[in-house]
Order: sequence, then structure tokens, then C-alpha cells
Amino acid sequence: MSGKNDKKIILVCDTDGKQREADYADMITSVLSEEKLDGQVQVIRVAELGIYGQGVIVKILPENIIYKISDETAIAELVSEVIKKNKTLKESVLEDNPKQLKIVLRNCGIIDPENIDDYIALDGYQALSRVIFDSSPEEVIAQLKISGLRGRGGGGFPTATKWNFARRTEADQKYIICNADEGDPGAYMDRSVLEGDPHSVIEGMIIGGFAIGADKGYFYIRAEYPLAIERVQKAIEQAREYGLLGENILGSDFNFDLDIRLGAGAFVCGEETALIASIEGKRGCPTPRPPYPSIKGLWGKPTVINNVETLANIAVILLKGAKWFAAIGSATSKGTKVFALTGKVKNSGLIEVPMGITIREIVYEIGGGVFEDKKLKAVQTGGPSGGVIPKEFLDTPVDYENLQKLGSIMGSGGMIVLDEDDCMVDIAKFYLRFCVDESCGKCAPCRIGGFQMLNYLKDISRGKASQGDLLKLENICNSVKKASLCGLGQTAPNPILSTLKYFRVEYDQHINDHRCAAKKCTDLLRFVISKEKCVSCGMCSRDCPVNAIPKNENKEYIINQELCIKCGKCFDVCKFDAVIRE
Amino acid sequence: MSKLTRETLNKIKQEHAKPRNNWIKVGMSTCGIAAGADIVLETIKQEVKKRNLAVTVGQCGCAGKCYAEPLVEVCIDGVPQVIYGNVDKKSAIEIIERHVANKKLLNDHIYNVKGK
Ligand SMILES: Cc1cc2nc3c(=O)[nH]c(=O)nc-3n(C[C@H](O)[C@H](O)[C@H](O)COP(=O)(O)O)c2cc1C
Ligand code: SF4
Ligand code: SF4
Repeated sequence: MSGKNDKKIILVCDTDGKQREADYADMITSVLSEEKLDGQVQVIRVAELGIYGQGVIVKILPENIIYKISDETAIAELVSEVIKKNKTLKESVLEDNPKQLKIVLRNCGIIDPENIDDYIALDGYQALSRVIFDSSPEEVIAQLKISGLRGRGGGGFPTATKWNFARRTEADQKYIICNADEGDPGAYMDRSVLEGDPHSVIEGMIIGGFAIGADKGYFYIRAEYPLAIERVQKAIEQAREYGLLGENILGSDFNFDLDIRLGAGAFVCGEETALIASIEGKRGCPTPRPPYPSIKGLWGKPTVINNVETLANIAVILLKGAKWFAAIGSATSKGTKVFALTGKVKNSGLIEVPMGITIREIVYEIGGGVFEDKKLKAVQTGGPSGGVIPKEFLDTPVDYENLQKLGSIMGSGGMIVLDEDDCMVDIAKFYLRFCVDESCGKCAPCRIGGFQMLNYLKDISRGKASQGDLLKLENICNSVKKASLCGLGQTAPNPILSTLKYFRVEYDQHINDHRCAAKKCTDLLRFVISKEKCVSCGMCSRDCPVNAIPKNENKEYIINQELCIKCGKCFDVCKFDAVIRE
Repeated sequence: MSKLTRETLNKIKQEHAKPRNNWIKVGMSTCGIAAGADIVLETIKQEVKKRNLAVTVGQCGCAGKCYAEPLVEVCIDGVPQVIYGNVDKKSAIEIIERHVANKKLLNDHIYNVKGK
């Protein structure tokens, strides 16, 4: 790609990101200049090479070989053998073993999402053209069945089965809907796909329309995603101009068109029956299933609702073959999963990994480990419908069944790394509050149960609850799970139940000892100023919103506990660590 | 634009798939723009114009390394193809001066090396 380039380049990377006394790039440069080689070789310090926890490494270009460099001897050897004699030090080569596999994100960050030709150049719309001219709806569904593709919106329902239901249901009109409501806190996988490669989803929808016999589809996108909406809109227009949408697609007798509907940002509207109601112009409230949308959906017609990521998989599967796809992943979960890796991880971002990868590999080999090298406590998956996976289970292969067994879920792809500073009661409270805010209020278990659960959690975090309250909380959790109408209520207790399962000790500490070990629950903390450390700079006093830190006659700052509202400002602003939480 | 047939679709694919050199791409997804990618893209466009360089400047979506946004990928004849991260206005100008005009890599900003 890079043209002729025989001059060697040494890329130097510190994979631990630690402060080191010696700058290895400088050391290599000085050895090179002793050997009078510095004019011929470029030494470049790089931020990252996709490898972590291996100390200092170098990558030699153009050969593209990586070596681990532990000391000065290694540098001398590198220069004398690899650079001077052009040899390969076979024993010291570090294998680059990329953990990510990009299928859904194949084009993200590579093509210009606003230029349809870019997509076409990378096999875009080839699957569609094959399907229309060389295949049949039955064959498409048969292929999807072999591929083992399951819905990426959270539930993991087999896509072929869903499509087949809609195909077999007789109707004068059918629909396909792309669910881009993505409302879990911390999740942005679908947004990135729509912003980075909208045509891959559009192609999946057209193929879906062909397979189930629909000539109309809708994108349901939340209004908070203006850039995604703009890019999808442009992509639809370009596809229409090319005759990839509209009548007689690619000159065939197949017709299909797409429109965008905007969601107002209610989490519950991601639930399929609420989503349908919302498109129909009604209030976004769930209705009981069955009937399932694939039998009776939008305006009473058979409707397939698929997640963005599910749809982005379709064209590749049909192009590369169902067997190719089925060979990736674990026994029950095929293909890859996109995760938004966030929280206390060094490299937060969007990743795509084969199913069956372990959580440890994700956090340490892709995420680069825990922020500030603190201790990992757990990993949260599935957002407000999911749970925590404690560090004892880091080697669990990630798939739908395994995560469920552990009391969490795959969910749509949020993965939040929690460390020793995270309080599990606080985490449960955070997610539950989200569900209580987002509950549509239609059914009593979720509406009233949610409110009650939140009250108990608040009491626990204030040290004002008893063990009896904890039992009551558990009881309500189980009832809400069983009795709620839709997935929101049915899964809202999950974050509580899963933190209770693995971290009951933390609940006990809050209840029995009025103590929050992670120092998150401010009601159980006192802020005090250490006389030894305080340098009387007055920063805290200036920033305290309630003037609780006056200067006394000895020019000392002391927090007035009566006035303090425990906002934590003073703790954050003190540069001398003199404000202590206890 | 006229409506495509199977044949014309394949023709676009072939014409457009030819490998090209001498381009710069800026990641312009929400994560990138939030980190200042729009300013970086504007700066790069201006610098390329000012120096009259034969380089195409384009945009792309999120490459996943959200912690290192804004990301700028540079493919110039005779220099390894790399992705620079944490680019700001100053380093964007440096990329043009050093990498594009003088064919040398920049220190401390490389987050990925592509190709062989
Ligand atoms: C409260 C709630 C919110 C949901 N939000 C989403 C969402 O944002 N995106 C999504 O694809 N599915 C969401 N779902 C799941 C959908 O109801 C539906 O199962 C999914 O879109 C089906 O697509 P799939 O088979 O491709 O996974 C949500 C479900 C519930 C109960
Ligand atoms: S479970 Fe909650 S969100 Fe779902 S219908 Fe009942 S009240 Fe509404
Ligand atoms: S915690 Fe907030 S209210 Fe209390 S003393 Fe510090 S700054 Fe003031």
C-alpha cells in the first residue's frame, strides 16, 4: 500500500504505558549513531501498536516484524543483527495475534459513509445482486439458518426463524424495521455503524424485504442521533438514485423502499411492540405478545424488527457463505459481537470480537487493562437489563448462554469495566433509577415495584435499611421480574439480583456497618481535612457550595459537618490530598 | 446518476476498487467530532490547499479507537500508511509538514500501522 520503501523504520512502543527512566527510542538512536547508521534508519516513538503488557517493543518496517526489547543488550543485538545484517531474530519475534475480528465494522473507519461508490467498491450491494438474480427468498432464509445468526438487539432470537415466520404469514403488505433506538446508558455500537457504514444496514434491510416479501421498510432512529440520521438519509437518497431502492431494483421486478422514523428518546420505545406503536403515531407503550410482530406487527401486518448490528451481518453472510460465518464463534453463538468497551479501562472504544472470546482477553488484550492499573472488580454487560460478572469469571467465553448462566446477559453490547472504586449498591441503584425513569407506567409491577425497589436501594446506600428490608427487596425483585408486561420491567431487577448474588457482602456492609468500602455512597461518608496535609491554600473553601469550610482564627480550614452536603467538591479540588473521605 | 443494473454495479466496483495513494482520511463520527475532528479536518484541508499538495482529503466513520480520537489516517507514496491519534490543530499541521511534505513519520502520535 505504501509504495517503495526499503529504508528501515524502527517504531518504538511502550506497551505498559508506564513512566520509564530511560527513553528507549533515544537509546536506540544513540546506538545507531555510534554505528553511523542514524542517517539510514528512522526511529519513531509510537503511541500504540495494538499490543499491551509486553514492556517495550519495536516494530521493524518494511519487514513488519515485532521484537520485545528488554534491555541494552537487546538494543545492541537489534542494531547489529536486524538493522546492520538484515537478519531476523527468530527466537525474539513477538507474534502479533489480533483479538478483534471485524465483520459488522468491516467498513467503519475505512470508507466514506457519504459516498455510495466507496461501499460498492468493497463488495457493497453484491450480496443483494446475487440474491435477486441467483437466489430465492427460501434460499436466503435457509442460508441464514445455517449461519446461526442470532439477533444482536439483546434477546438473541434466531434471525432465520423470525424471517421465516413473517415469510410464511399471508398478507397483502409486510414490513421490515431497523431498530436503531439504542438507549442503554453507555452503548453506542449502533450509532457508530449507522454513522460509519449506513449502506451495510440498508443492504441488509433490502435483502430482508426480499426474503420475507416486504416492499417497505423503516429505520427507527432516536432523534438524539442527528449525525446518524443525516448519514442514513443521504445513503437512502444515493441508493435510490442508483436504483438500489425503489421500483425494479437493479432492473429486476423486485420493489423495495425505505423511510426514516424518529424516536423521541424513550428507552421503552426500543421494545418492539412499543416501537411499532410509536411508528403508528400512538404513545410508545408495549402491548402483550403474542401476537408477535412477525405475525401481526406494524398496522396489523407481518413485520420483522431487527437490530442495526443484526442487519449489518446479512450481506457479508450471504456473500462469504453461511458456513464461513458458522465457523466463527462458540457452539450456540455464531459470528462476532460489537461491544462499546467503557468504564475503568485504559482504551475505551468500539470493539468487535468473535463470540467465545474471554472477558479477560477483551479487557486486557484489547482494552489494555484497567485504568491506572487498579484492581478489576467486575464487568457489567447488558446495561439496565443485565448484570455484573465478577473477576472470578473473567475466563468465561462470551456467548449468549454463558452470560445468562452467570446472571447477566449479552445485551446489545455495552461492556463496562468496574474497579475497586465502584460500589455495587451504587451500580445497582444507577441502573434501577434509569429503569424507573424510563418505565412507561402501563403495568403496576414495573411502575410501583420499580419505585419500591429504588426506595430500598436508597435506604441501603444511606445506611438506613435493615436485613429485613433486603429480603423484601429481593422479594419485590422476583415479583417484578415475573409480573411485568414487557422486557423493561422483566429485566429491571437484574442489576440488583446479580450484584446481590456476587457482592452480598457489600450490601451487608452498608446495612450492618453503615460503611461503603468503595467510598461512593456519600451519605455514609464524612469529609474531613487532614491537619498534617493541609497547606491552607483555601481552594476547598472557595469551591464549597454551602460555605462549610471557613478559615478559623489559627488560619486552619475545618469542615463544618452540620453544613456539609457531601458534594465532594473539596475532595476533588484539593491538590494536596488533604481532604479525606472516611 | 442513472439506475444501475447488475453489470453497471460491477463496473463501478471495479473502477472504484483500484488502490489509490496519496490521501488523508479523518474519522468524522460523533466520537471524533466531539474530540475536535471537524477542526482537524478543516485544518488539513486548508494546509493541503495552501501548499498545493496533490493529496485527497476525505472522511470516514469510527475506527473504534474512541479513546484516541480525533484519528487521522495518512497514505502517502513512500511512507508507511499509519493512523495518527489524539490529533489537534497543531499536530494536524505537523502531519502535513512532516509526513506529507517531507515523507517522515511523526513521533508519539501513531496508533496503528497498516499494510505490509
Ligand atoms: C426496554 C427495551 C428496550 C429495547 N431497546 C432496543 C434497542 O434499543 N435496540 C434494539 O435493537 N433492540 C432493543 N430491544 C429489543 C427489541 O425489542 C427487539 O427484540 C430487537 O430489536 C429485535 O432485533 P434482533 O432480533 O435483531 O435482535 C429492547 C427491548 C426492550 C424490552
Ligand atoms: S414493564 Fe414497565 S415499561 Fe414495560 S409495559 Fe410495564 S410499566 Fe411499561
Ligand atoms: S463535601 Fe462539598 S459541601 Fe462538604 S465541605 Fe466539601 S465542598 Fe463543602
